[in-house]
Amino acid sequence: MQMFHIRYRNAQGALMRILNAISRRGIDLTSVHAEARGQEYAVTVLLEVTHKQIGQLCREWSSIVDVVDVGSSAASLGPGQAAWAPLPPSSASISGQSARAALA
Amino acid sequence: MPKGAEIVLQCLRAEGVDLAFGYPGGAIMPLYDSLDGSGIRHILTRHEQGAVFAAEGYARVTGKVGVAIATSGPGATNLVTGIADAKMDSVPLVCITGQVRSAMIGSDAFQETDVFGVTLSLTKWSRLVRTIDEIPEVIAEGFHWARSGRPGPVVIDIPTDLLKAKREFSGPVKFAAHAGSGEARAEGAFRDTIVALLEQAARPVALVGAGAKLSGAIAELRRLLDDLNIPTFATVHGLGAVPPQSPYYLGMVGMHGTRAANMALHETDLLLVFGARLDDRVTGDPTRFAPQARIVHFEIDPAQLDRVRACELPVIGNLADTIPALQAELGHASLPDWSDWRALACGGERAELDLRGRAQPTLRFLDELFSRLPADNVVIADVGQHQMWAAQRYRSSSPRGFITSGGLGAMGFALPAAVGVQLARPQTCVLCVSGDGGFQMNIQELATVRRLGLPIKMVIVDNKYLGMVRQWQQLFYQRNYAETDLSDNPDFVEIAKAYRIRGWRLHESAMAEYPVSAETGNLIETFLGSPEPELLVFDCHPEANVYPMVPAGAALSEMVFGDE
Repeated sequence: MQMFHIRYRNAQGALMRILNAISRRGIDLTSVHAEARGQEYAVTVLLEVTHKQIGQLCREWSSIVDVVDVGSSAASLGPGQAAWAPLPPSSASISGQSARAALA
Repeated sequence: MPKGAEIVLQCLRAEGVDLAFGYPGGAIMPLYDSLDGSGIRHILTRHEQGAVFAAEGYARVTGKVGVAIATSGPGATNLVTGIADAKMDSVPLVCITGQVRSAMIGSDAFQETDVFGVTLSLTKWSRLVRTIDEIPEVIAEGFHWARSGRPGPVVIDIPTDLLKAKREFSGPVKFAAHAGSGEARAEGAFRDTIVALLEQAARPVALVGAGAKLSGAIAELRRLLDDLNIPTFATVHGLGAVPPQSPYYLGMVGMHGTRAANMALHETDLLLVFGARLDDRVTGDPTRFAPQARIVHFEIDPAQLDRVRACELPVIGNLADTIPALQAELGHASLPDWSDWRALACGGERAELDLRGRAQPTLRFLDELFSRLPADNVVIADVGQHQMWAAQRYRSSSPRGFITSGGLGAMGFALPAAVGVQLARPQTCVLCVSGDGGFQMNIQELATVRRLGLPIKMVIVDNKYLGMVRQWQQLFYQRNYAETDLSDNPDFVEIAKAYRIRGWRLHESAMAEYPVSAETGNLIETFLGSPEPELLVFDCHPEANVYPMVPAGAALSEMVFGDE
């Protein structure tokens, strides 16, 4: 199970676009929780996904106009144990690990 | 005080809209009532799908935002295919739809459809307008998102009562993007990494997609490719970005790409992707796509990364920013001598195999047609075999010279799209190439062509089949031609005549001699040179196939050439 945390502006359709990225892949929604968090909103979803789908989902969510940021963590770690790791669009990590991996 | 409809139109004008395509109906009537004197020319098509494809054609050839207008319910749902098409091919498009009165929304009122919900997964951004006060901000924001970053479709759904209501209006507004929204930008460190990858590479190649023209960085890209001088090829939407006479250019890549391009892609050890999604029509079997290559993917939309094949180095950003940054770094690099690799990839043996198709009469016909086009031309292809034949044969240095529905593959696209293209470029020779199946999907737009007197040159490659489906049935379904027979097609020349458009017919036997006879040559010249709309039906063999072809599930290196 993978837990995803997405912060978004609560504009018309923003949450539905986030959930559509899941349903269009035929993934069952195990758990969804959305709430206001300061000036923005946050939705937490729990999904059974492959490693490839994790990347695809995070990148697709990042491309939604009203999404502020996206993170994920393994659900088994528990919410108290693991702060979620941000998954920004990939170029943010170019200077770091992915660039080194490309040269490996 | 102006009405909501007048505010909408003023806001559209403020966004630079002077042309819109649409079809009136009940809920959108207030907008049409205010059109006169608005400064916006409205083009009445004969179907809403025609309107949205025409708006797409306009947008694709100009780079500006195309605007389509429709009423609620069926009017709005008829836009859906065009919206999906714009999403797939990154076309800036704003659709304005009428909606039932605010008080009736959700009551299943007459011609009520939840178009906001229907198009949610197909749009980049959308709004159901709730108050007349929102109109200026919504339109400004809608246009911003349609044209920013990776362009895409926007739907603005406006209840009819808001179009009729009045309010004080101080003028259109500008949209200020939210902090943190908009285009992602690549960090500078990527340049060092790419240069290092190039210095290590023995067989580098470049793949150019639609992002090249969308970014407006064609000159920068061409300069970079000239400096790199590595084998280069294009997706169907990347055609024209690289001058076809460039010595390192290998043509189109993918399912119906050239042997040279596909083989180079199969053998490369470093693939530079400039603004292409790497969809399945380009990659073939993704597990065997560029199997030895590290991939550097220049892309503006992070959602497009790793869809089919993982890349080693993503570079997120606009090519207009990232290419010059890389170019600057190359000046300090000591790149290897790739002349042996270039000679192999671009050399005679592979290129000659690509010439085998010249014996095919339809290819010869297209060669004859394209070679007689004036320099200022745009070719719009529909979807099917003729599309791939045209893509294989059209050679242009104009990045917006070849227009087609690539990602969605929507039959019926070409004729209405040609309307939008011709209106945007009235002096340009606009050639619309369709199949007999696709042409009938929006054949009603012949009325629009006639009404406006647009000198579009329409070609129907008529094989009396849904040709591409039939080809697959022949190759992969034991010739079970289930429901692809169109042998009872109408007489297209007579249909054109009914619309007061002159029609011509040419049989493929006219292509048997080379060069073609003076009579055939004159026919083509007259057809292309006419100041009026013209229709030319080219009767081709029912079982003519598109080759080369990479069978579904095969690697790019496993293309087949048929028996031509």
